[in-house]
Amino acid sequence: MATHEGPGDRRQYSGDPYRPRARPGQGGERPRPPMSRQQPGGQPPRRPRPPGDRPTGERPRPPVDRRRYTGPDLSNEETVIFEAVGKTGTATKSKDKPPLPPLGKGGVAVRTVGELLITAGLVVLLFMVYELYVTDLFSAEKQAAASNTLDGDWAKERTTHAGPADGEAFARIHIPTFGADFNFTIQEGTSDAALEVGPGHYKGTAMPGERGNFAIAGHRVGKGAPFNDLDSLTSCDQVVIETQTDFFVYKVLPYDDEMANWESGKGADPKCKGVSTLRKPGEPGGGPYSKTFGRKVVLPSQGDAVNPVPFVRPDKLPDASNTVQLLTLTTCHPQFSARERLIITSVLTQQVPKTQVKDYTDLMKKLGGR
Amino acid sequence: MYGWIWRHLPGPFAVKLTIAVVLLLGIVALLMFVVFPWVEPRLWFNNVSVQ
Repeated sequence: MATHEGPGDRRQYSGDPYRPRARPGQGGERPRPPMSRQQPGGQPPRRPRPPGDRPTGERPRPPVDRRRYTGPDLSNEETVIFEAVGKTGTATKSKDKPPLPPLGKGGVAVRTVGELLITAGLVVLLFMVYELYVTDLFSAEKQAAASNTLDGDWAKERTTHAGPADGEAFARIHIPTFGADFNFTIQEGTSDAALEVGPGHYKGTAMPGERGNFAIAGHRVGKGAPFNDLDSLTSCDQVVIETQTDFFVYKVLPYDDEMANWESGKGADPKCKGVSTLRKPGEPGGGPYSKTFGRKVVLPSQGDAVNPVPFVRPDKLPDASNTVQLLTLTTCHPQFSARERLIITSVLTQQVPKTQVKDYTDLMKKLGGR
Repeated sequence: MYGWIWRHLPGPFAVKLTIAVVLLLGIVALLMFVVFPWVEPRLWFNNVSVQ
């Protein structure tokens, strides 16, 4: 047999675990792709022919067994590469790959490690799909359930007890800028479980409409991503908090670059009615609210962003009753990162009891759009 | 590894393919419903609150 075999028969990989059933005399094939092994059963093994035997452009084609292999017919290419190697014994053409040595134990180990690494990469990709899309589905279900429960609670006209229990929905947030149907229930607490349902209220901060800082956190990526577009809010955009009895209309405070000329600039816009810079001209830096802006990016450790007066320790306040009613929304920043936090602060401009309006749509109509 | 698994699946090609797909879907479901929800709170990048 050895007398018949050309050097190209080195390419028969009896040690390759992908081809355990390789028969002797099948040396006319490349080891990969594995489907090239689909030769008709009764076909005599192909041998390299002597030079000159085969006119160019005319190659014998073995009948393809369509029953076993239905992919593209690769037999032509296979033969060409084999013969180029077989005749010369070496890969002289640049497009020919040099013959691969058979895989030993080490080779198999390396390949297995490679396969495991590829698998790990795929698992990470799948995790991203989970984070970005699948958690949305899970959260949408929880949000719908919480919303139903909240509507049921409100319809029962149950008097509000001392305070909502952990994870319990007690209010609803509407942001008209994000669409008329944008609304999420607000849960008590900022635990993972609460935030999976929707935005969560920082425990210990003010309640809707109260003096101080009604602060809520929400996911920006996945889990319904209620605060996904928070950075597209601009000053004077409305944020409406709905409770059992009232609608509280907050408006986003002026941004850093709008502070200087607020009164004559954007502040003169009718839609900014009720929004001021909160700065006091007489006091150094503008008073206690000197660090409060409509939009601010802070470090995750800056928990004082949700203080009754943002970034001011409660005991440093000269007069607690002098504080205004703020609403602070926090989410992660930049998107897909947890390096910083995006803080949007708005101020209460209007309180509309539910006895005066039918529902949120009615409220929006009465407020005249924005 | 994958070659080894493929060779140890029983039956003709169609059966092998079916078993492989079912195995794959099972693993994906296990990741989605058990592993990922368990791993996720242990990761840092989805914190949205200040403290």
